[in-house]
Amino acid sequence: MKKTTVFLSALAVMLSVSSYGQTIKSGEKLIYSGSYNMSGLMTQLAQVTMEVETVSTSKNNYLHLSCQAATYSKWDSFFKIRDLYESYVNPKTLEPSLYKRNISEGGYTKKEKYVFKNGGKTITSTLNKKNMPERTRTFSINPNAQDVVSLLYKIRTLDFSGMKVGQTQSFTIVFDEKEIPVSVKYMGIESANAGNLGKKNCHKIAIGAKTQALKGKDANLIWLTADAKKIPALIKFSIPVGTGQLTLTSASGL
Amino acid sequence: MRKTFIILASVFTLLSVVFSVLPLGTIAVLPIAIALLLSFLALQKSDADSKKLPKILLLIAAICLVAVIGKQLLVKEEVAKDAQFEQTIEKSKEEDKKELEELENLEGDLE
Repeated sequence: MKKTTVFLSALAVMLSVSSYGQTIKSGEKLIYSGSYNMSGLMTQLAQVTMEVETVSTSKNNYLHLSCQAATYSKWDSFFKIRDLYESYVNPKTLEPSLYKRNISEGGYTKKEKYVFKNGGKTITSTLNKKNMPERTRTFSINPNAQDVVSLLYKIRTLDFSGMKVGQTQSFTIVFDEKEIPVSVKYMGIESANAGNLGKKNCHKIAIGAKTQALKGKDANLIWLTADAKKIPALIKFSIPVGTGQLTLTSASGL
Repeated sequence: MRKTFIILASVFTLLSVVFSVLPLGTIAVLPIAIALLLSFLALQKSDADSKKLPKILLLIAAICLVAVIGKQLLVKEEVAKDAQFEQTIEKSKEEDKKELEELENLEGDLE
């Protein structure tokens, strides 16, 4: 009985590992058009690019997950945004080793770096803000906590086929040096436009977080294509200063 | 009342032209909608022999609306090539690799 349990557990781990590999592949590039609701009108503001590539050091391979946000050229003279969010994760488990956030928004700059140490139990963070001296601190975290970028990819590895509408899964992210509980609620299947992939049936999920950064109940939504890739086709967000959405325009390297 | 509508319509028509010329996307629809409404009200309040100005304002606002919709449909949104940002990304990758090597030395193999 014990052997069977061990075998089944090993099989489950192997299946989950291979599922990560199938879903998140090096070379994947997703381009989104980011719109912001200005006085009731959705205005295209920025392009968001999410890329996955393999990075090798002398000892290990990592998946480099990056999210870049850049305002369309017409907005650059008014409010230029050049944001870069990066995470280096274990390709098998998507556990982060290094997370970086480099923000440049209309003259405001902030750089943040988290180095996950002791098997993800502690983080050494380095913070650089405009007109402020660099600050480094080390703090303990829940070993399952991860950064916001790797969480976005981890959600894509969830098996939604067995989930019922309203069912939730819990995660913990580290953002602004704070641990924030995040819930992922399954909302059912809906169709959504997925850029060059055409109209797709999608798993609709709601992201909830105990933070001031996200507003509203079930107002932060992601539509993931209901296939093996689970590509985010549409993302709607509600933040304190308004609402917006990211619509997939191009997906390549899948 | 007609005079008030004419003044407000003129102001919003001017704003419509400015917003339409500037690369502000669909935000320009807001002053245009107000200009159209005020020009229409001014036209309603005007006598048969004094409808010329409201008609001109209505026409300008309508042209602005067509121009904004046309730009939205025909002009493709693009991100400017930003050498500095690209350089930042490349530099970041090099630094990250060193950081990961240091972490590995500290922690031992991940796998």
